[in-house]
Amino acid sequence: MRKYVWIIIGVILAVYFLTGVYQVGPSEVALLKTFGKFTAVVPSGIHYHLPYPFQSHVKVDVTTVRKIEIGFRSVQRGDRISYESVPGESIMITGDNNLVSVEAVVQYRVKDPVAYAFNITEADSIVRFTTESVLREKVAMRNIDDVLTVGRDEIGLETAKMLQKILDSYDCGIKIENVYLQEVVPPEPVVNAFDDVNNARQNKERLINEARKYANDIVPKAQGQAQEILRQAEAYAQEVYLKALGEAKRFDEILEEYTKAPDITRKRMLLDALQSILEKVQNKIIFVGNAGSLNVLNISDILKEMGK
Amino acid sequence: MKVWVLSLLIVLIVIGVILASSAFYVLDQTQQAVVLRFGKIVAVETEPGVHFKQPFVDNVVRFDKRILLYDIEPEKIIAADKKTLVIDTYVLWKIKDPEAFIRSLKNVNLALPRIDDVVYSHVRNIFAKANFDEIISEKREDLLKKVTELSREDLKEFGIEVVDVRVKHADLPEENEAAVYERMRAERYSIAAQIRAEGEKEARKIRAEADKTAKVLIAEAQSKAEQIKGTGEASAVKIYAEIFSKDKDFYEFWRTMEVYKSIEGGILLVGDELDALRYLISK
Repeated sequence: MRKYVWIIIGVILAVYFLTGVYQVGPSEVALLKTFGKFTAVVPSGIHYHLPYPFQSHVKVDVTTVRKIEIGFRSVQRGDRISYESVPGESIMITGDNNLVSVEAVVQYRVKDPVAYAFNITEADSIVRFTTESVLREKVAMRNIDDVLTVGRDEIGLETAKMLQKILDSYDCGIKIENVYLQEVVPPEPVVNAFDDVNNARQNKERLINEARKYANDIVPKAQGQAQEILRQAEAYAQEVYLKALGEAKRFDEILEEYTKAPDITRKRMLLDALQSILEKVQNKIIFVGNAGSLNVLNISDILKEMGK
Repeated sequence: MKVWVLSLLIVLIVIGVILASSAFYVLDQTQQAVVLRFGKIVAVETEPGVHFKQPFVDNVVRFDKRILLYDIEPEKIIAADKKTLVIDTYVLWKIKDPEAFIRSLKNVNLALPRIDDVVYSHVRNIFAKANFDEIISEKREDLLKKVTELSREDLKEFGIEVVDVRVKHADLPEENEAAVYERMRAERYSIAAQIRAEGEKEARKIRAEADKTAKVLIAEAQSKAEQIKGTGEASAVKIYAEIFSKDKDFYEFWRTMEVYKSIEGGILLVGDELDALRYLISK
């Protein structure tokens, strides 16, 4: 009977002391507290400390990168992850009083587990709120076109830097790894207007290209036409010159013959010409007489009569 | 040993544990405590570890030592330039002096409305002196610093330390957003119109340039063509002049005859002086 009591007491004590066994995961460290006071950092593995109320521990994940989404939430449905935007968070005002939708992801990790565990509460909310606050300030310092284009990366970098500075001032043991801007777009109600600007840019390009096409068509054609005009002129010049040359040669020949018998040649040439005229002209009329009385002979009739 | 001895031992241990647990208390690293005796503050403990108190008489009230976050509901404020905006602030604070805290505010739930009142009234005062543009951009940091300082000063007597006051959002009220969107749309459409007009301008310029180039090319060709023709004609004239000078009289005659030969069709009127027709006319 007494034996059993001792066994029971022994088991109870054993169970009590066994509650001091604890395990620290590979990405974690444990902070050991003795009577509530922090005494040691314990690495991963299996460890033992005195049971309650003498010692206790808290575990802090120090290697896993934690993520906070701003302006959207990823929702896991089965295997698929879908994104839902949160307009209340994402719509921000820019320096030129426009509104823009900015979605961002903040990645952070615990750099000082002691500060993280003992200096702050609601770490996630602190990181989220501070990021929102800084991000909005940075967006508000730029105009909308900058935010949508070149400012993107800068905003992310500046936000991360400022964020780290503020969090360090709280001594909360958090290291900001990155602030990534995700979708930075015009808000939904003005998307069409923004698209129209892009369309206008396309239109502009198109008009210019069409004009270039026209220019590429008309200029070479004109060059061709110019060449044509020049060649024609050259041909004409050559033609005129050669004709003159030919005529000169011909005249030289005739002149040579002519000088041998000028009178008779002259007459013969006159008659030749006359004959040619008479052959080719249908109606021939000769005026006979003086100015007062004008007799008209129709040479065709005369010739006809002569032929009879 | 008898059974009763054992039982007595167990009872003594139990009593000992009860006594110890009421005479000592463990303060966690994250905590601080105020020890009350019949409602009166007898001790304030901020160091973690084991502490002694009067058993059964003293009551330990624990408070968090860490930074606490209080998210204040968004409120509308009017800036110096009469623009309305919705400001969403939050406060990071901690209980610096548990004694003063418990005296004036009792607990955290009662403290929050007080923090809300103080911070919000400072936000309103400070921000109302600034313009809308200053509130939403660079100057905000300075404004917030002022709010933090003033709030810190005011809440000090309650044992509260304001760590930081920040603005999570500073937005336009919903009813103004529509107007902003309207303006943004108008702005974008005007930019689009300008881009299109620029396209038109460029295109016209290119076309006109091309038309000009084409016209000039042809005109130049024509001008050069005239010169070429002139050169050809000049050579011809020179040749003709040379022939002409060989026998002016005969050349004239010969050319005249050539012209006569080229006459074709029509009516020929001939005067009777024509020597070649003399036989015909004398008839």
